Amino acid sequence: MFSKLRLTLASLAGAAVIAAPAGAQLKVVTSTTDLYDIAKAVGGNRITATHIGEGYQDPHFIEAKPSFVLQLRNADVWAFVGLDLEIGWMPVLLDGARNQRIKQGAPGYVDVSRAIPLLDVPSGNVDRSQGDVHPLGNPHYWLDPENGRRIARLFKDKFTELDPAAAAVYAANERNFEARLNNTERTWTDELAKIRGQPVVAWHTSWRYFAEYTKMNIVGFMEPKPGVPPSPSHLAGLIQTMRRTGAKVIVMEPFYDQKTADFVASRTGAKVLILPPSVGGVKGVGDYISVMDYDIKQLAAAL
Amino acid sequence: MRFMSALCAMAIIGTGLGAQVPTTVRDSVARAKAKADSIAAADSIAIVRELERMQGAKPDTTRGPVTGPQGSTNPRLLPDFSAVGDFVADLSPQGSTQADSSRIGVREVELAVQAAVDPYFRGDVFLGISDLEGISIEQAFLTTTALPNEFELKIGRFLMPIGKQNTTHRHDLHTVEYPYIIQRFFAPDGYKGTGFWLSRVIAPLGFFQEIQVTAVNRLADRDRSLQTGDPVNRKLSGLGYSARLRNYWDLNESTNLEVSGTALTGIREEPIAAPVGPVNALNARQNTFGADLTFRWRPLQQGLYKSFILQAELMRQSTQAVSATVPGPICRQLCAGSPIPPTTVASSGSHYTGGYAFARYQITTRGFLGGRYDQLQDPLFGGSTTRAASVELEFFPSEFSKMTAAYERYIPPAGIERINRILLQATFALGPHKPHPF
Repeated sequence: MFSKLRLTLASLAGAAVIAAPAGAQLKVVTSTTDLYDIAKAVGGNRITATHIGEGYQDPHFIEAKPSFVLQLRNADVWAFVGLDLEIGWMPVLLDGARNQRIKQGAPGYVDVSRAIPLLDVPSGNVDRSQGDVHPLGNPHYWLDPENGRRIARLFKDKFTELDPAAAAVYAANERNFEARLNNTERTWTDELAKIRGQPVVAWHTSWRYFAEYTKMNIVGFMEPKPGVPPSPSHLAGLIQTMRRTGAKVIVMEPFYDQKTADFVASRTGAKVLILPPSVGGVKGVGDYISVMDYDIKQLAAAL
Repeated sequence: MRFMSALCAMAIIGTGLGAQVPTTVRDSVARAKAKADSIAAADSIAIVRELERMQGAKPDTTRGPVTGPQGSTNPRLLPDFSAVGDFVADLSPQGSTQADSSRIGVREVELAVQAAVDPYFRGDVFLGISDLEGISIEQAFLTTTALPNEFELKIGRFLMPIGKQNTTHRHDLHTVEYPYIIQRFFAPDGYKGTGFWLSRVIAPLGFFQEIQVTAVNRLADRDRSLQTGDPVNRKLSGLGYSARLRNYWDLNESTNLEVSGTALTGIREEPIAAPVGPVNALNARQNTFGADLTFRWRPLQQGLYKSFILQAELMRQSTQAVSATVPGPICRQLCAGSPIPPTTVASSGSHYTGGYAFARYQITTRGFLGGRYDQLQDPLFGGSTTRAASVELEFFPSEFSKMTAAYERYIPPAGIERINRILLQATFALGPHKPHPF
């Protein structure tokens, strides 16, 4: 009896997947604005795209609002950062959406992290005494333009797989995206030279990939451990570290409490630099290339 | 060292490509490459790109979480195991108000085992362990994951979708205990039903709506001190049936509103004034209707530091007055064959209304101040009014632990002592990161 039930369910599920629209614009939903912007750049007018999180919002703590379920229930593609960045809300939304096209294992379920070489993958045993660690690796990889290219290529491949008729469009759009990024990247030569090796403090480990690219030297974090708010004793130690290393900039996202950073800055003479980690993180930074451009130029100017 | 590793991998791959080796060999080379520390790989991004180009490999992005490109993190397909500890200290000056009279106790330890069963079902088992009840099945249900037309079916035991707070585990509440309408109308630790739960998301009007219907073994837990002539669920009409409609609106990006309605019907045992033989209760239909409202405010940019919830529920529970003639056979068994005529007995029926309002404001990154006011026609006191007002201070050292201090002024009907309750609670969670409650 159970096997019959399974057979029936399998048939029905298969029918549901096959019933996905063909030839229409792909409906793409992404977890972050960065993935959204790159998807739009690659998909062009062959896709419609929406995103769940905003660029000025901590992506760890997005709320699983039921209205997001409505976005996901009709999606053909669900693209997300992965590495447990969305663990606090994504399972609820995917369960609620009941969309076979974007369930784990379906073609529309796109874990972007699988295309990325990762940083901070723990090599030993991890537990929560180490803070809110990401046991699969650091998920803030989009803050390296090389990974931006990887994301674009991944989207090109995925959209082509789901919409092969527009393969040439996706390929051309992806090349165009890379060309624009390359052109902008060439303007950073002086800034990158200025940033290289400079000691800075970051609030969270979200700037690790950015540091790998720019070669800025993160000498400490405002958080004593990932996800743990700064404690007075930690800040005291951090102030000593900053004085010793000569760190002159505290890099932080717009969604953290600036008062604490201002306090540390006042004790060290450093400057608090609020950088958008994502598209829309501050006004006027409306696409992925602009985010990288803004962050690199702002940081170089502050050093 | 990193450069040498990458160079070796390139050399291996280059050899393989030149020899036109089968795909499986190339795959094994790719796996060997993937075993290299990914930090090293990122340090040599150009080399990684070159490797990928040479392999022509496209990553499979549709699988679950992985540690980089290495593969599954759960090769033995173990389910998720987790545990929650819930400790309560009752410092009330007039004595403990806990069911087991303890001053400091482990109210419950909950063990959970959760995993996909197969491509069609997910399984969730929650066992509750407490000094008072021993081990009990809190919840155990199978959830379909592949039904068409966006239906979802749960089969098993679950927290019933009755009102807003009943579907939340007690240790996840923002208060130490459930609101009194749940405690007195259903059960102190929430109303669980065993049966079927079917739900579907709809949006015909452009906003989120969800319909949830259940059919469960019986209405509420059985009170074993009550004995009726027939089981309450002898007929299918005696099962418990519920329906709930959720409506949700985003008012703007920071605020949202949920308004829902619930109906529940079924048959339960109602005591009679004078027992007839072993029969001391009659089967009576009970209907419960409820409405709940939740308003949330959380500015996106300052969401780590500021939030506010306002919540209210109202319920009305009505139990029919019934009378019945208790047949002779019951008496003959007790009276050794004496011809005693059938006896007509009755239960009086009841109508109880109650509700609560709850608010919670985030005062720091990890601190929240909340308050709740309860008022109900209390079944425990024959429908006389019970009121309670409480304040709660919650502190979250992290997402995985919580400390709560609560004061409650409990005001039962006139003639019964008013009580000041002081409760401290500590909870912690072990195991995989669970979704944040919303």
